[in-house]
Amino acid sequence: MSNPKHDKGEHFLLTPKAEPFMERVIFNNRFIILVAFFFLTIFLGYNAAQIKPDASFERLIPLEHPFIVNMLKNREDLENLGNSIRIAVAVKDGDIFNEQYMETLRQITDEVFYLPGVDRSGMKSIWTPNVRWVEVTEQGFQGGPVIPDGYNGSRDSLEKLRQNILKSGQVGSLVSDNFKSAIIYAPLFEINPETNEPLDYKAFSSVLEEKVRTKYLAQNPNVNIHIIGFAKKVGDLIAGISSIALFAIVTITMTLIFLVLYSRCVISTLVPVLTSIIAVFWQLGILNLLGYGLDPYSVLVPFLVFAIGISHGVQIVNQVALEVGKGFDSLTAARLAFRQLYIPGMLALISDAIGFLTLLFIKVDVIRDLAVAAGVGVAVIIITNLVLHPLIVSYVGITKSGVAHVQNHNDKTDRKWRIMSFFAHPSVAPISIMIAILGFGLGIYYQKDLKIGDLDAGAPELRADSRYNLDNKYVISNYSTSADILVIMVETPDEKCSSYKVMDAMDRMQWVLENTEGVESTASLVTVSKHVTKALNEGNLKWFELPRNQSIINSSIQRAPSGLINTRCSMTPLLVFLKDHKAETLTHVVNVIQGFVAENTSDDYRFLLAAGNAGVEAATNEVISKAKDMMLAFVYAVVSILCFITFRSIRAVICIVTPLGLTSVLCEALMAQLGIGVKVATLPVIALGVGIGVDYGIYIYTKLEHMLIEGKPLQEAYFQTLMSTGKAVSFTGLTLGLGVFTWIFSPIKFQADMGVLLFFMFIWNMIGAIWLLPAMARFLLRPDKMVEKARKAAKPV
Amino acid sequence: MRQGLKNLVIRFTACAALSIVAVPGFALQDVLESKAMTTEKAPSSLLLDVVKAGNRLVAVGERGHIIFSDNQGKTWRQASVPVSVTLTAVHFPSQTQGWAVGHGAVILHSADAGETWEKQFDGNVANEVVIGAAQRNVAALEKALDSASDDKKSKLEAALDEANFALDDAKADSEAGASKPLLDVWFKNDKEGFVVGAYGFFFSTKDGGSTWENAAPRIANPDRFHLNAMNQVTGGAVFIAGEAGVLFRSVDGGENWVTLESPYEGSLFGVAGNGNVNEVTIYGLRGHLFRSVDMGDSWSGVDSGTESSLMGSFASSDGSMYVVGNSGTILVSGNAGESFKSRVREDRVSLMSGIMLEDDSLILVGENGVVIADSQGRSK
Repeated sequence: MSNPKHDKGEHFLLTPKAEPFMERVIFNNRFIILVAFFFLTIFLGYNAAQIKPDASFERLIPLEHPFIVNMLKNREDLENLGNSIRIAVAVKDGDIFNEQYMETLRQITDEVFYLPGVDRSGMKSIWTPNVRWVEVTEQGFQGGPVIPDGYNGSRDSLEKLRQNILKSGQVGSLVSDNFKSAIIYAPLFEINPETNEPLDYKAFSSVLEEKVRTKYLAQNPNVNIHIIGFAKKVGDLIAGISSIALFAIVTITMTLIFLVLYSRCVISTLVPVLTSIIAVFWQLGILNLLGYGLDPYSVLVPFLVFAIGISHGVQIVNQVALEVGKGFDSLTAARLAFRQLYIPGMLALISDAIGFLTLLFIKVDVIRDLAVAAGVGVAVIIITNLVLHPLIVSYVGITKSGVAHVQNHNDKTDRKWRIMSFFAHPSVAPISIMIAILGFGLGIYYQKDLKIGDLDAGAPELRADSRYNLDNKYVISNYSTSADILVIMVETPDEKCSSYKVMDAMDRMQWVLENTEGVESTASLVTVSKHVTKALNEGNLKWFELPRNQSIINSSIQRAPSGLINTRCSMTPLLVFLKDHKAETLTHVVNVIQGFVAENTSDDYRFLLAAGNAGVEAATNEVISKAKDMMLAFVYAVVSILCFITFRSIRAVICIVTPLGLTSVLCEALMAQLGIGVKVATLPVIALGVGIGVDYGIYIYTKLEHMLIEGKPLQEAYFQTLMSTGKAVSFTGLTLGLGVFTWIFSPIKFQADMGVLLFFMFIWNMIGAIWLLPAMARFLLRPDKMVEKARKAAKPV
Repeated sequence: MRQGLKNLVIRFTACAALSIVAVPGFALQDVLESKAMTTEKAPSSLLLDVVKAGNRLVAVGERGHIIFSDNQGKTWRQASVPVSVTLTAVHFPSQTQGWAVGHGAVILHSADAGETWEKQFDGNVANEVVIGAAQRNVAALEKALDSASDDKKSKLEAALDEANFALDDAKADSEAGASKPLLDVWFKNDKEGFVVGAYGFFFSTKDGGSTWENAAPRIANPDRFHLNAMNQVTGGAVFIAGEAGVLFRSVDGGENWVTLESPYEGSLFGVAGNGNVNEVTIYGLRGHLFRSVDMGDSWSGVDSGTESSLMGSFASSDGSMYVVGNSGTILVSGNAGESFKSRVREDRVSLMSGIMLEDDSLILVGENGVVIADSQGRSK
């Protein structure tokens, strides 16, 4: 070997002998390997293009949680309950009783009636004939459609309409309390009975935008249209995902610019970007081959893969430039760079991968998918950026300007690194440690407010100011409805769901719940029965009670909404409307329900938790809060063990892991302060942050140890480390941060939350590695002992 | 070590045993046996009647709620009530003695001006009372038939058929349990009182509610229409008004009743005097309101100005008469019910009853519990 210094090898590594072997295999067959990689890329690229978006609801929920098991068991019976849309047509000026408004409402009703997927028989609006006014008269009931006979838009017929609406009892449900808007309610078929196709949420949502919102806003400037419902939300989410493509372009462009500025070399810019993109292709291709799709969470993994790829690529670029600067040809420089970096690189990537794999502890499919996707991504980076990259460089080399840029350092440019090397200075280090302790203290203090679950109102997946959430807010504040529904499934023997015993138990549970903090109201078959019994008794409120007589109960629920009773009458849902879906609210309400169930059991019925968005969320929260600490403990244990195996020194482990711990604590404090809860989207970030953050520490520590073993005093060793690795690390931190920064602008709230947190963790981990690690090293490392140990190890056996 | 293991086994077994015991659990008690839950929501939940007990206000409503206020309705306390059925009416013949009735034919009594209540009667007892009375009737008729002369026989046979029919009916009804509600209560004094209810339920007591007698045979209600309201007017006549316009009057404190000719075939929900001797006002479905100045022998219709059903009434100290009803309707008459001024309250919440306070403000109760209004019924 031309440079004997490198032949000594990294004696402290686990398998020092493996290094030249791996290097020999790879570089002696570099052409064949390159060709193989080329075809592999074509194959996997083709597969990557086949990958399908996968926004299935089931993957978002913890399927093994008893709540969810219960929900899925009763899924068919619950279907009628949930899937519907509401279109609120609001008038800007005046009230709804004007001719133009009514005409627009009529046209939209007709339009919605003909939309594919709409269950026409269940549709309701004041323009559908099933919405009627009813009046008790001496002869019995009298009624008719709310739109009066011979309606012609005249003042008289509008007045008649107003009277009918008041009599219909639809104020608060189909007409807002202030008469400034009316709702068109359309239940949807999950499977279209005409075509047998499942509802295409994306298409349905865009048809609504096009044929309802856009069309009628243009037609009648005096109206506003608000659309809510599960189908619309999912449609908006899917639409939001497509903005990812834009983020990808922005991220790649910014990375290119940064790389040019950093390396001043076209080749050193293009090769890492190319290999990182190849890594993304491989990752997506492998996922497709494994049968995975891309969901709103795992769609972010390619960004991570790209960013991690770049960060390792930068290390290679940096090292190659240094070696070429020493006068080696590009092949030798590439080999030397490979030799120096593949162990710390691999160690870093394996820690990343294991960090990701700890996510498998969380029994929610999207998180597990994310773990697999990220794990695969990191594994391919080992090949693309640690093998492919140096191989390509061995052919193309780097430009002179790149080499010149690396060599072109003088006292002036070095000064910032010189200043930073003082982090290892004996009088600066204690200050740093003090600051870190203070940081831990503050972090732990503010972290107290950290909440589990989603904290924002409305659809938490979307931004608070998104169209959907604004629409949702409008509807909730103008109508008697809540967006947060917990459904208790009441199971009974067949044909017993409406028996007095069952209904009585439900009634009492409802009252207990209505007296529970966080519950706004409840509804069930009992509510229907009481209202109808009252109505059947001439509207006399003295009859507002659950009838004990079964035949009266039966007639009172004859026309109950279909979702409230299944065909066998063996399950009836009890709906609990909550004021929000914060974790405390959910836990409290769930505890009250479980308490009631424990105290009142019977063979006649079983109260099962829980469906509804709040039920799912309650289950998810439980899973998340249980998994959180275990996951963190595991990820730290793995990272520590890997570091220990590599460096054979507890002191080294402490030096590397402490800055990560500080970041984790501060990150949780940040979450608490920004109102970001620990949820499906953010829990993975905590693991990813640790996994990726450890890279910095590993690279820096490797170099620092190397320098110390060469006999340099700590501060000088650290200065040398900063000049080479430190530079790359700080650049890496910025690139990684940049890679996820664009997510902050995602229309999807949880992607934005992930973006904020990852950005913080990448940047702060980098700061921690550069600032806190040397301070720790000042107190913990014994350079003289390290030199001695190295000498011993270097002796031939 | 051994000991520890043994402990563990014992504990484990105990846990398992406990969990086995816990499974059958504690089924819910019947609503007629379950104490009303204490809740801050009682004053804002459905309330159906409000009266004065001395200076205290007492209101009753859904889920066994009875609330009382000693500061003119500013704050309310919840009374201890042994049932959790909807209570429909309350009456205090004196400052401390009061009775409340409700679903499941429950009758509650308070001897402390409404703070605590005890159950005197419920639908299960009611069924027994009705069946017992029917059985005695059948027995009496059978006996009479045995010793009757031939010319009276056919008549008695017909009566016996009817009595048997009534007995079968009563037995069949009782199978549904305590299913019929009582709808109103009126006590002449601390001892003598009456309750009326659905399907012609009508019971009386002479001993402050210790025992109740089936009073239904005293009135002619063959179709068993609901009896919605009972009240006494100045001059002493007592009225019962009900479904399909049925009207009954007693001038001897409830012993003997005559059926009055009704001016209306729809349901009547209330009957009230206006302070003048023998003057009476009845009201009901769809804003119908009638007035009589001759103890109900003749009636004249009064324009109520509303089509909402009228559910309850009360008088003010100055002699004004108030009638309240569905959809926030409130009528005021300053001339003993000859004419009314009607108002629909903005909240359109249905009202069931009310009382006037010393400062001329009104306590109204209904769908959303207690509301305080000015003397015209506007919210304060």
